Amino acid sequence: MEEETKAEAEQEEKQEKQKQEQEETEETKKTEDKEKETEEKGKKEKEIKEEQKEEKKETNQEAKHEKKEYKHIKFLSSGWYDKNYKILLIISLLVFVLAIGSIVLFYTKHGDIMNKDVTLTGGTTITVYTSDVNLAELEAFLKGKLGEVNIRKLEDITTRKTIAFVVETSSDANVTKAVLEEYLKYPLDNSNSSTEISGASLAKSFYHQLLIAMAVAFVFMAIVVFIIFRNLIPCLMIVFCAAADIISALALANVLGFRISTAGIAAFLMLIGYSVDTDTMLTTKVLKRRGEGALNSRIKSAFKTGLIMTLTSLAAVLIGYFIANSDVLKEIFFILACGLAMDLFYTWLANASLLKLYCEKKKIS
Amino acid sequence: MAKITWRIWLLIILLVIAGIVIFNWQILYGKVYVKSIVPNSSAAQAGIAQGELIKEINGKAINSIEDYSNALALLKNEAEIIVETENGTFRYNSATLDFELDNKTIRHVSGNAEIAGLKEGMIVESINNFSLETYTFSEIKEKVEPKTKITIKTNKNEYVFLSTNNIGMVVSEVWPTRIKAGLDLQGGARALVKPERALTREEMANLIETVRYRLNVYGLTDVNVKDVSDLEGNTYLMVELAGATPIELQDLIAKQGKFEAKIGNETVFVGGHNDITFVCRNDASCARIESCNAIEGSESCRFQFEVHLSEAAAKRHAELTANLIENTTGEGKSYLNETLDLYLDDKLVDSLFISSDLKGKVTTAVAVSGSGIGKTRLEAYNNAETNMKKLQTILITGSLPFKLEIIKLDSISPTLGQEFTKNVIVAALAAFVGVCLIIYIRYRKFQLFIPVIITIVSETVLTLLIAVIIHWNIDLASIAGIIAAIGTGVDDQIVMIDESESKAAKQYSMKERIKRAFFIIMGAYATVVVSLLPLWWAGAGLLRGFAVTTLLGITVGVFVTRPAFADILKIITKE
Repeated sequence: MEEETKAEAEQEEKQEKQKQEQEETEETKKTEDKEKETEEKGKKEKEIKEEQKEEKKETNQEAKHEKKEYKHIKFLSSGWYDKNYKILLIISLLVFVLAIGSIVLFYTKHGDIMNKDVTLTGGTTITVYTSDVNLAELEAFLKGKLGEVNIRKLEDITTRKTIAFVVETSSDANVTKAVLEEYLKYPLDNSNSSTEISGASLAKSFYHQLLIAMAVAFVFMAIVVFIIFRNLIPCLMIVFCAAADIISALALANVLGFRISTAGIAAFLMLIGYSVDTDTMLTTKVLKRRGEGALNSRIKSAFKTGLIMTLTSLAAVLIGYFIANSDVLKEIFFILACGLAMDLFYTWLANASLLKLYCEKKKIS
Repeated sequence: MAKITWRIWLLIILLVIAGIVIFNWQILYGKVYVKSIVPNSSAAQAGIAQGELIKEINGKAINSIEDYSNALALLKNEAEIIVETENGTFRYNSATLDFELDNKTIRHVSGNAEIAGLKEGMIVESINNFSLETYTFSEIKEKVEPKTKITIKTNKNEYVFLSTNNIGMVVSEVWPTRIKAGLDLQGGARALVKPERALTREEMANLIETVRYRLNVYGLTDVNVKDVSDLEGNTYLMVELAGATPIELQDLIAKQGKFEAKIGNETVFVGGHNDITFVCRNDASCARIESCNAIEGSESCRFQFEVHLSEAAAKRHAELTANLIENTTGEGKSYLNETLDLYLDDKLVDSLFISSDLKGKVTTAVAVSGSGIGKTRLEAYNNAETNMKKLQTILITGSLPFKLEIIKLDSISPTLGQEFTKNVIVAALAAFVGVCLIIYIRYRKFQLFIPVIITIVSETVLTLLIAVIIHWNIDLASIAGIIAAIGTGVDDQIVMIDESESKAAKQYSMKERIKRAFFIIMGAYATVVVSLLPLWWAGAGLLRGFAVTTLLGITVGVFVTRPAFADILKIITKE
């Protein structure tokens, strides 16, 4: 595939003009049909017929269109997408700026870029297996007796019955246990509770390591993207979108008050991989499949595929999020869901628009 | 041309292998297996080994844990017990004596003895005509407590032995699959322990060996001790226990367990096999709770057990006691003027009077004692028992070579684990249905829908196959990993379907189109792989589960199931 690109690059000057002409005709037809087509998604038979028509015309009109060489940008602007893609790009960039702003704000308020839970700050988590608990009452009871406390319930998805409650605190495990026993009036042991203790210095070291792991993963990902495309600017676009995706997902998690644990950071790492796959697919279709329809139609076909890709993943993680009762799973699914939603946004608003801009600058149609 | 290509065959063959490997064939031979055996118990003496499948107990077939406990309940063979005391004679039927003796005074009355009217503080003369003048309490216990003939048939052998109701075996039900659940799903404990300083490779290996030995001696068999290191170059000791968590775990792992017996400032003996040749355990004749007393509103129970010293240690004992002065107490007993002080981790746990007749003598048998304190007598008794067991363990295994600190400890209740397992299965099925639904809504073609399901299922199965082969425990993070891998799997299938249906690419052959799809797939695969790699090292590898299963899942997907999917797709589209 790489050889292909090189060869293309060499012959570009000769072939490009011709090719562009070819596709230009197609493009004009296409843009006219575009609105119709979007309405008629799924009626593939019709599309096939149209495409066949276009192809026939394409060859006939080849010479005709040579004159219009550089006017195709004007032509393209007739379509809605051509008119508005820059606006879309600006919207996505604004959202990105907003996300960065919210993280900066969060940092100034809390002294960190995320809301860490006890696995990253150090402290105790005790899960008590009981169906009978009044969270408000418990919270009032624990206030003042323990340091920073966070309480929540675990529910069975099918019966909606409480199966356990979780107390997260910066206090020592023995103190927490004693206070809880005082409230519950029965002793806690391995049969009715789970205890997780993280030392403060270890938690801090984990946090640092996981941030490093994220940075390393990001660099690795960028290298792989460069190896695949060997083309600086499109690669930077992909890397930018992946970064924007992760930063925005984090901002979203912060805004929604989500607390992030070690598992959550693993989810962010996963997101690095996930966020680039639609971008990769889009870039492949746009830059490496120049012979297959006009730029807009290639973006559109990538969009159709990518939308379903992200939607299926999003459905899986959202369903997982709502059904899972384990904190670890809930957290991983939640972060993946945030990231995938952001991915949808940045891939098709930012990356697609940037690529289109790039192609037009480089006269790739 | 419905030709089944080699790729499809490969998938089928791997799935068959997965079925064979994942299914636990043992279940065909027995439903209950021996998980662990208490050392020195009747079961251990009979020669029953860990892992054997129990088929029958006294002629009754054992097909579940319930059958097992029912069979044992049937053993409840009671004997008549006659206790003569200064307050009269008491008769009752019981499988055990249901009381303890402190010298001749009754302590801890329970069960049938209590119903019969025995009370604490009564002075016992004889039990079942065995006079306490001639026999010790433990000897009488041994003789009086009824034992039954038990016949246990396992897959390997038939064992016939006499035992009380407590056989000394922990059994567990055989799982239908060989997939091992992680700690957060089956319950258990995981401790991350930091040594006082950085250890060399050899020191670490030595430490691991000692900790494992100590836990085994304590009676914990399902133990995994290993060293882990992290990105910052720290090395930790990781201790994992499956199933229940003993309360003493923290003490067992992190207490160095430096035991010293001193007279004055001179050490007589220390824990470990150099000085101690034998420690009496699980034998009431030489290891027992001696007495209980109320002290300042709380209760305290004393335990005592016998240890045998090596010759060198016994000689030291003789030399150190030779110059001591004899003192006679008010009760007419004679003791030496210095005590034998027992230190655990430099803290004094007990001081023993040394009987005058031991002065200057080379004795190998020495009593070690300590106490347990609690709010109630029962609590004090249980604490004393726990402390005794801990001290016995420490004396046998010796001290750990380094000071250790537990820096992370997770103990997960088995109850919660079960709840999570059930929930995870529901979540996975629901996610699966959701994904299928979206694919169906988009393509409206059942022909596509079916291979998608086949690949999702086979990807999961093959990931589990590898997990079983490499002995990887499936924990919650791993399940998230599998779901994530399936997510990418479905993504890739969508790329393939769209490529194969692409109108724009119709100048290409089907083969060519699939090849093009794989370019995108391999790109996505490579990015996911590299982004998860750092998790192998970060955070002491606690997130490896997630990374490993995700990588396994997508690797299997890219190299096995997706090529097969492509071929199935070719068949379908051609028809």
